Amino acid sequence: MIAELGHFALILAFVTSLLVSVVPLVGVARGNAALMQLAVPATLVMTGGVLIAFAALVWAFVTSDFSVALVTSHSHSAKPLIYKISGTWGNHEGSLLLWIVILVSFAAILTFSGRAMPIVLKTRTLAIQGIVSAAFLAFSLFTSNPFARLSPAPLDGNGLNPVLQDPGLALHPPTLYIGYVGLSMAFSFAVAGLLDGRIDRAWAIYVRPWITAAWCALTIGIALGSWWAYYELGWGGWWFWDPVENASLMPWLATTALIHSVSVVAARGIFKSWTVLLAILAFSLSLVGTFIVRSGLLTSVHSFASDPARGVFILGILLFAIGIPLALFAWRGPQLTNDGDYQPVSREFGLLVNNFLLTAATIVVLIGTFYPLGLEMVSGARITVGPPYFDATFNPIMGVLVLAMAFGPVMAWRRGTLPGLRLVASSAIVAALAAVLAGLALVTGISLAGLAGIGMIAWLGGGILADMVHRMRRTHHVGFGARLGAIQLPVWGMWCAHLGMVVFLLGALGNGLFASEAVVRAKPGDVIDLAGNEITFAGIEARQGPNYVTSTAMLDLRRDGQLLARLEPENRLYTAERQTTTEAAIRPRLSGDDYAVLGDGDAQMGYTLRLYHKPLVSWIWAGAGLMALGGFLAAIGRARRPQRIAELDAPT
Amino acid sequence: MTEQSTNEARRTGPKLSFILPLIGFLILAGFAAAALFATLSGSRNPAQLPSVLISKPAPATPVPLLDNGLGTLDLADFAGEPLLVNFFASWCAPCRAEAPALALLAEGVTVIGIAYKDKPADTSAFLTQFGNPFSAIGVDRDGRLGFAWGVYGVPESYVIGSDGTVLLRHAGPIDRRVLDEVVMPAIKDAR
Repeated sequence: MIAELGHFALILAFVTSLLVSVVPLVGVARGNAALMQLAVPATLVMTGGVLIAFAALVWAFVTSDFSVALVTSHSHSAKPLIYKISGTWGNHEGSLLLWIVILVSFAAILTFSGRAMPIVLKTRTLAIQGIVSAAFLAFSLFTSNPFARLSPAPLDGNGLNPVLQDPGLALHPPTLYIGYVGLSMAFSFAVAGLLDGRIDRAWAIYVRPWITAAWCALTIGIALGSWWAYYELGWGGWWFWDPVENASLMPWLATTALIHSVSVVAARGIFKSWTVLLAILAFSLSLVGTFIVRSGLLTSVHSFASDPARGVFILGILLFAIGIPLALFAWRGPQLTNDGDYQPVSREFGLLVNNFLLTAATIVVLIGTFYPLGLEMVSGARITVGPPYFDATFNPIMGVLVLAMAFGPVMAWRRGTLPGLRLVASSAIVAALAAVLAGLALVTGISLAGLAGIGMIAWLGGGILADMVHRMRRTHHVGFGARLGAIQLPVWGMWCAHLGMVVFLLGALGNGLFASEAVVRAKPGDVIDLAGNEITFAGIEARQGPNYVTSTAMLDLRRDGQLLARLEPENRLYTAERQTTTEAAIRPRLSGDDYAVLGDGDAQMGYTLRLYHKPLVSWIWAGAGLMALGGFLAAIGRARRPQRIAELDAPT
Repeated sequence: MTEQSTNEARRTGPKLSFILPLIGFLILAGFAAAALFATLSGSRNPAQLPSVLISKPAPATPVPLLDNGLGTLDLADFAGEPLLVNFFASWCAPCRAEAPALALLAEGVTVIGIAYKDKPADTSAFLTQFGNPFSAIGVDRDGRLGFAWGVYGVPESYVIGSDGTVLLRHAGPIDRRVLDEVVMPAIKDAR
């Protein structure tokens, strides 16, 4: 009954979404205010329908209603409640519904928040959001109905893939989806602006919070995914250049470029057509990211079951959602004229460099992800390009970006002067030299790449600190506290995000350069030396979990005879699913993680143990967290001190 | 001044730059559509690649052995029987899918692994987790051996005859179907 209610609510939402897609646009074309205003209530009804449908699906999972086919194939009655709930989106149909929930919720938020917006822009934006919603509701209803019944209902379900039974799954997809789908708002604004034939500073100020929010969510979502892969897959790695990971990195890179280019539109009224194009491309990449792995086109270690028949529908949606806006861009884009000019040495130019490098990085990842597909079409071979490709292409671009990042913030708008250049340049150079010398002195046998990395990170850190000093000197306030207070919140946000990059790079480099590992076959009582620690294999025991049994190794980690911790890596056998997972044992510390994985083996032969010491590895995710925090600070700062949009129309 | 003039040029000049994104997208979409419909019709499958090496002796670029890094891998040591040489890497997702088929093959045929552009420690960890079907493993750290063989990417496999000539090249993972329909017939012919 509940499932039918959910199905009905979903159909209702689909019908309403068709209304949102068409009627308000007719209203705009005819100048009919009543038809335009229909966008708001219709959006709310659509959102209500989707939320009811999602609640019904969650209910079916929580109550283990095995007459619903999806619950049978992806759940089991003996599963902890949290994984029954998160299991709702641990499959194609449910995750698609979650995706739609976020899509329509953003439209609903716009109906409340965009009160000051011009009615035509708001109506068009809601209508475009409605069109996207209609396409995905149709996808859900016609190819991936989550409420399909199963008759007769089986006694119990098939269970959820054990790898997905993890708190990481409860958090990672929703956060990532908020990021992916948040970009739909930037997309809808961009298309609405193209329809208007007018993009101005006000447009940039309205769209900016959506871009920042989407970027923060993407950053956290990717970091959560990376962290989950780190502790769950038992590989000790944090990034694998897998197609699914690349699919989330591409929109992130494009959105990072977009955040910077929209700031130029907001401040100076230039870079308009480029910003619109980026907004369309960022959402296109997130569509590709969410759906290409489900179409059977790319092979990946952690994709959902793929289905080529669904792929046709997905390709249709992509053609429609990317092709039409790009055609509109080709037609209307040339009409977007710039409101001003800029000098070669100015912040505008710096941000142009930023956008150029980030776009190049996006393209490099795009090629690395899709080149195997193209090659397969030409020659029939199915292969992967892995880290060697990305090390040779992506890393150098990022290196140049890091070098340039030190100087961007200190550049002034428009003008060709560089008031803080001398301070920033000398600090960056001194910091880089000091770091390289320290690296040479302290680390024996350091590689050239390692030295370059250390130097670059110090360069960026020195540049950011110098920029902070420079800006505080420039204020007319007296006293350190007053000077700190005079800095606006968005500037703090920028520093925080840029310092997050420094922290992230330190983590990546520390782990890349100084990680040590040992793969051994050990028997209880054996002692293994690793990175100055002694690890004693105390023994193996079997344990009982809520829906699994384990074989757990007990490892005592000692330094200078002092017991630091007991690491208990285990292999779990999930009884319902008859699948095993490897659970790494991790002792996380700011200075580095101790990481242990239990392999196969028996009492006679001994057990395989993989032991790692990974210096600074947690800084990778801490850095991502700082970046996201910076985004939030900037968004809060702008919300508290909204630029008066009426003033923008005045000639500058 | 110069910026002003480029702005003018942009306003009056051709609009090609605005059409390029659409063209680029349509080309990509064409590829994706072709791939998708080929998959649907069942004609898209990993297949053998032509290789200039076919019927020629396998290149004898020496690489160190994984075990201790002291010895050198020399295919001549295995002369007199057909071999399968498999290029793989721990960072390669499809290589994980090959493990069952390679293990099956290794029951009757000598299988040599080449760890392509991979850290030895990562290779060892990979073999611990997914199994080791190889009679010997060469370490091709910088991809020099792969270059000599003309490897496109991993996984890629070669069937070598008893006399050391290359008989077959297969790009992509070896699954049961490829094993039965492509690799085993080639090895049978070699015997």
